[in-house]
Amino acid sequence: MQWTRDLARRCRALFRRPDEREMDEEIRLHIEMEAEENLRRGLSAEEARRRALAAFGRVEDIKDGVRDVRPVARVLGDLRRDSRVGFRSLRRQPVFSLAVLLTLGIGIGGNVAMLGVLDVVLFRSLPYPEPERLVLGRVTYGGEVGRTVSGPDFFDYRERADGLEALSAITPFPVEVTVTGTALPERVSAPLVSTGFFETLGVTPASGRGFTAAEGEPGGAPVAVLSHAYWQRSFGGDPDVVGSTIHLDAVPTTVVGVMPPGFRFLVDADLWRPIQRGTGWAAARQFHNFLLVGRLSPGVTLASAQGGVDLVSGRLEEAYPDTNEGKGLRLTPLREALAEGIRDPIRLLLAAVLLVLVVACANVAGLVVVRGSARRSEIAVRSVMGAGRGRLARQLLTESGLLALGASVVGIGIATWLQRGILVLLPLQTLGPLTAGLSPTMAGATAALALLALGLFGVLPALRVARSEPALELRSGTRATTGRRGVRLQSGLVVAQVAVTSVLVIVSGLLLRSFFELRSVDPGFDPTGLLTAEVALPSGSYEDATDRLRFFERLGREAATLPGVSAVGLVNRLPVRDGGDNVRVAPPEEWGAGGVFERVAYQRMVLPGYFEAMGIPLLAGRDVSRTDTREAPPVMLLSASLAEELSPAGDALGRVLAVDVGTDDPWTAEVVGIVGDVVPSSLAAGTGHAMYFAYGQRSPSSMRLAVRGRVDRAGITTGLRTLVASLDPDIPLTGVATMEEVLETSIADRRSVMTVLLAFAGVALLLAAVGLYGLMAYHVSRRVHEIGVRMALGASASGVAVSVVRRGLVLVGAGLVLAVPLSLVAGRLVGGMLFGVGGLDPWTYGGAAAFLAAVAGLACLLPARRAATIDPMEAFRAE
Amino acid sequence: MSRSDLLQGSLDLLILRVLELEPLHGWAVSKRIRLLSKDVLDVNQGSLYPALYRLRDRGLIESEWQTSDEGRRIKVYHLTPRGRKALVRERRSWRRFSGAVEAILQAG
Repeated sequence: MQWTRDLARRCRALFRRPDEREMDEEIRLHIEMEAEENLRRGLSAEEARRRALAAFGRVEDIKDGVRDVRPVARVLGDLRRDSRVGFRSLRRQPVFSLAVLLTLGIGIGGNVAMLGVLDVVLFRSLPYPEPERLVLGRVTYGGEVGRTVSGPDFFDYRERADGLEALSAITPFPVEVTVTGTALPERVSAPLVSTGFFETLGVTPASGRGFTAAEGEPGGAPVAVLSHAYWQRSFGGDPDVVGSTIHLDAVPTTVVGVMPPGFRFLVDADLWRPIQRGTGWAAARQFHNFLLVGRLSPGVTLASAQGGVDLVSGRLEEAYPDTNEGKGLRLTPLREALAEGIRDPIRLLLAAVLLVLVVACANVAGLVVVRGSARRSEIAVRSVMGAGRGRLARQLLTESGLLALGASVVGIGIATWLQRGILVLLPLQTLGPLTAGLSPTMAGATAALALLALGLFGVLPALRVARSEPALELRSGTRATTGRRGVRLQSGLVVAQVAVTSVLVIVSGLLLRSFFELRSVDPGFDPTGLLTAEVALPSGSYEDATDRLRFFERLGREAATLPGVSAVGLVNRLPVRDGGDNVRVAPPEEWGAGGVFERVAYQRMVLPGYFEAMGIPLLAGRDVSRTDTREAPPVMLLSASLAEELSPAGDALGRVLAVDVGTDDPWTAEVVGIVGDVVPSSLAAGTGHAMYFAYGQRSPSSMRLAVRGRVDRAGITTGLRTLVASLDPDIPLTGVATMEEVLETSIADRRSVMTVLLAFAGVALLLAAVGLYGLMAYHVSRRVHEIGVRMALGASASGVAVSVVRRGLVLVGAGLVLAVPLSLVAGRLVGGMLFGVGGLDPWTYGGAAAFLAAVAGLACLLPARRAATIDPMEAFRAE
Repeated sequence: MSRSDLLQGSLDLLILRVLELEPLHGWAVSKRIRLLSKDVLDVNQGSLYPALYRLRDRGLIESEWQTSDEGRRIKVYHLTPRGRKALVRERRSWRRFSGAVEAILQAG
């Protein structure tokens, strides 16, 4: 068929690019032949060739003409040619090109990295089927969202609330057990979960089964489900592990299943154990130990499920006014709940990278303005020589496009690296495994940012060229000059950069000060030379309180004899290191009445000598003693602030107080001593009320050691391990850390947010300094002639230098002034992350301003020196 | 007639015509047109090569690389059967067109 062949050829022709080599060769052939003809006519060889070329016309034009025959091929060809020209032109200015690539790359990379972090944390971390139906259930007190729900309340919600297909509970804090019966006694993370936990999340065990309903009732057989990682690590992936028996805190427990690899919910778990209704941590309505996760029934909205839950809350309030007055349950979509926890740091860092991008764009725009003015006469000349404006604009656009493309590549590189760093550094609580890596979202964001940048610094100059009047440009002088508008634009860009950078520096400064304030908080004890560790007795083999007492008394006594050890303290929860366990305390006559003397305080069980070992001062009365046994009257010590509040008259010693221990009736004890305040949980929370009980009277199975000593940490650790093993080979010594490490860890989250932010601020500062330097250097180079005249007229070198620096500092000053209102807003936004310093801290503001001025001065110094060393004679000769 | 007056369609006709006489390379095509028109028509190379590529894309001419008598690689264009038919058509329409123009010029 003739016409189909014809069509096919035409289609081919439409896209086929004329072979450039072939075209070149044909044209060369033509010119040679013309030249030979001219030679034959008797012209000189040179003249013959010149005329041949002239007759032919511009080679490029002809090639263009040939290409024009094919529309699509023409566009592609133009692009290729423009790219080649653009690439060459960029290579001719390596400093400019590199500066743009790096600056934009950093700006893009930072933002893409943060998006990547969000992506991982919020979107890729819900590895459960239909995650949009999952909700997190948290307790509310008078409408305020708290955190953990009590076990009995959970069981009531699970049984009575409509709209939820399933509801489950998990202990969201570290719960550990000692596993024995394997090679080495091992302390593992073993959260308690309700029996429907795996089913609620929609994940089935890889082998074996989950928990049966009977295993969640009192007296149910002790069972456990292992995590894949733990199964691999401690059981070598033994397929026969399901059905085998391991000992958890000396209780023989059957392994019933192994979860698939990567399964995780909120806490890292080595194994999961079922909560048994009404026992242990789920024993009482005032023990709030569980986070709930629910799955909405298909087609049920969050609001109607919340309605169902509220009904139950109302009924519980009526039935149990003592414990449930004002208490409720709030359902939040899981994704949203996750975002809450990291909102502040992520928002802060996101804002910071955006600001860095702004600075980067301003910097690049400044560079482009400088370069644009330098190229203006070049462009004007080309334009006069007949290059179309459209063509010139396209050329500029192509160059910018190449830069944007390069910057994207640099940006992606920076982003993947930075994303990993941030994920490691930031205190992110996520559900699934954290896997860094380039995602489609990140790639898309890169493309979008690159396009945005391209629009900002590529399209505008191109438009300017398209509109410009070449004749005017040429008439305005032989030297490349920037109009007043160019300089003003560039100065504006520098001012903007300084302003934005100042905000970052100020906010970083505020966080930095908070951090140091936090570090200088007096924890209430002497942390130097203090080693801490944990010893947990398996409840199965140490059921008797006197056995536990005997064990810990011996441990304390013998540890004190280890070489280099000067004192040993034993407590169930160490200050700073282990918060939690705060309960109500009140005078007995006010108990349950919510009187003015009711307080909430951290309760701690100690062995004699704890306060001395920790360096906590005993202010009045006595320490607990060996005679404070279960047979003797119960005793307690108060922290100074608690004693002050409970007995403002200062007569706390000798009083009897009631303490909530989860039973119907409170525990009552006599105050026998008052000790100094300590920071019970986090440094940021500061000192808190505490009360101490005698281990001889209240004896939990897990205790912490505080060992004060002078010799090396390794020596004492080994000594302790040997000692514990000699007392009971089935008990591991865990969590060995110096108190100073504990203090550092407690502020590590802040340190990492601060570190990332400081890095961003540093980058912005560097960019702004480079931008300022560029402007001043350019400013000086443009005024060489003028400065030369001035110096010839008697201006001193130092005077010239000062004028340059002054000019730079005026811009910085303007930027700083602009920064003040911005920082006030920013300071308010980060208020929640500050400690011991206000959002308007004048020292930080002043310090940041001085610092910026110093950096700016440095950035101006080189151009100023250059100005000062201008030789008037040379300046004139250059004309 | 200056080259800018050369009508677009007529250049195609001229190329097809000289290639009908014998296969030629690009330079020779322009040479031959000038020669045959007794130096009146001077084809601008800027039009010639685009026209050659256009005609080739339309399948009216074809090109191949040959070695000339002096041992030089040259690209020679020749008419295809379709080109031959097109030439007949073009020639007829050109004759009608120029005849019409002539008739108007001689009228009165």
